[in-house]
Amino acid sequence: MIKNVLLVDDEHEMLLALKEGFTRYRDSFAVHLASDGLQAVEKLKKSVFSLVVTDLKMPGMDGLELLAHIMEYYPDIPVIIITAYSTPEMEHLAREGGAVGYIAKPFLIEDLARRIMATLRRESEGGTLHNVSSGMFLQLIEMEQKTCTIRLEDKFSGKKGILFFHEGELLDARVNDLQGEDAACEIFAWEQVNLAIQNGCALREKRIHSEMQHLILETARRKDENINAEVSPSVLEEVKPFELDPPTLINSIRDKIQQNVGPASGLEDVYQDQSWDRLVFQLSGAGEFLTIGKMMLGYIDKGQTSDFILLPGENTTVISVNPKCPRDKLLQALSD
Amino acid sequence: MLNIDGVKGLILLSFSGDIIFKELNPILHETVENRDWRGLIESLADIRETDLIFEKGRLYIRRTDLGFLFVLMGPFVPMAMMRLQCDILLPSLKPAKASKGIRRFFKK
Repeated sequence: MIKNVLLVDDEHEMLLALKEGFTRYRDSFAVHLASDGLQAVEKLKKSVFSLVVTDLKMPGMDGLELLAHIMEYYPDIPVIIITAYSTPEMEHLAREGGAVGYIAKPFLIEDLARRIMATLRRESEGGTLHNVSSGMFLQLIEMEQKTCTIRLEDKFSGKKGILFFHEGELLDARVNDLQGEDAACEIFAWEQVNLAIQNGCALREKRIHSEMQHLILETARRKDENINAEVSPSVLEEVKPFELDPPTLINSIRDKIQQNVGPASGLEDVYQDQSWDRLVFQLSGAGEFLTIGKMMLGYIDKGQTSDFILLPGENTTVISVNPKCPRDKLLQALSD
Repeated sequence: MLNIDGVKGLILLSFSGDIIFKELNPILHETVENRDWRGLIESLADIRETDLIFEKGRLYIRRTDLGFLFVLMGPFVPMAMMRLQCDILLPSLKPAKASKGIRRFFKK
């Protein structure tokens, strides 16, 4: 299960350097970026994160305020502080505030990566399971009266969620900005999940008051009535494309190409790949310098067996196509 | 190529990021000289051709024997015509042949 790590820093170059430095760890964790505390708060609402690495001095909401916010609303998420203005008092404040790590700038990317990996390992210290039925497994946790934090990933949608158990009792659940019973019902509706168990539960407040059995039945009822049915966007422009979950974004791109270009589109695959981020960053910079604004998309010919269309975003979305594809038609369809 | 509707400028950058040739509007003409293009050129290392769409225009980059040709365009350009012009013109863009120098005194 790939874990999400949120990097927060107002120095754009620093964020990009870290992101690029962490590409070799992409099998272990995915990097998300926020340029200040307020943006981080918004991102925390939209995804399940396993770790936050934040700078201290930032405009708007600084690192200590962000740390306090995380300790209050997401006490399960460990926070590592990085700062260029390190003093013993600052370190004391950060530790006191709940930070699990404190690193003074400048530091080696490898050192930070090691610290991140060590912190993330704790998240699955109780074991990991793949392709299990969430309902069955969670009833087992209840029966065994375990105290643990379980992070789950839906095999079908790629969505992530988290459940908090204290002595077998379900205290709370979270999926993006959903919390409590609604989030629990959403998680119970996932038929096949991958999950990681962390021993212990940082949460104390009980937000779920129904029995788990009742919630599982409620989930089945909602499924029957299709209350929870999500409508996938049929075309890219209906929503901001790069704020979609990756599986939804990828499906909407496929749909758009199918609808506008048809079966002779030459489409091979759609996926996200951070290894293109540096090129996209450089090309975007050139566009801004040449006063033609933000980069929307780009067609890349490397003389290989496939060509690529790149869509910039937090993670670059890559569409691989046959070099004999109708290039102009594809670009037209995707840029409309 | 500058006669094609919508083409606004050309820059030819060497593989080391130096400007070999440029034809741009007066505002950009000076600022491109001061920009460090090496990062961009390095990231284009294995690319033959790229066609980029931006909010307010397009940029077409094509590898040549001398470096990378950048064609700056407005949003509405006959792209097929522009690529065809590149196909026709670029083969004639070859590095000037260096004199044989001191090698001419040695036998092959």
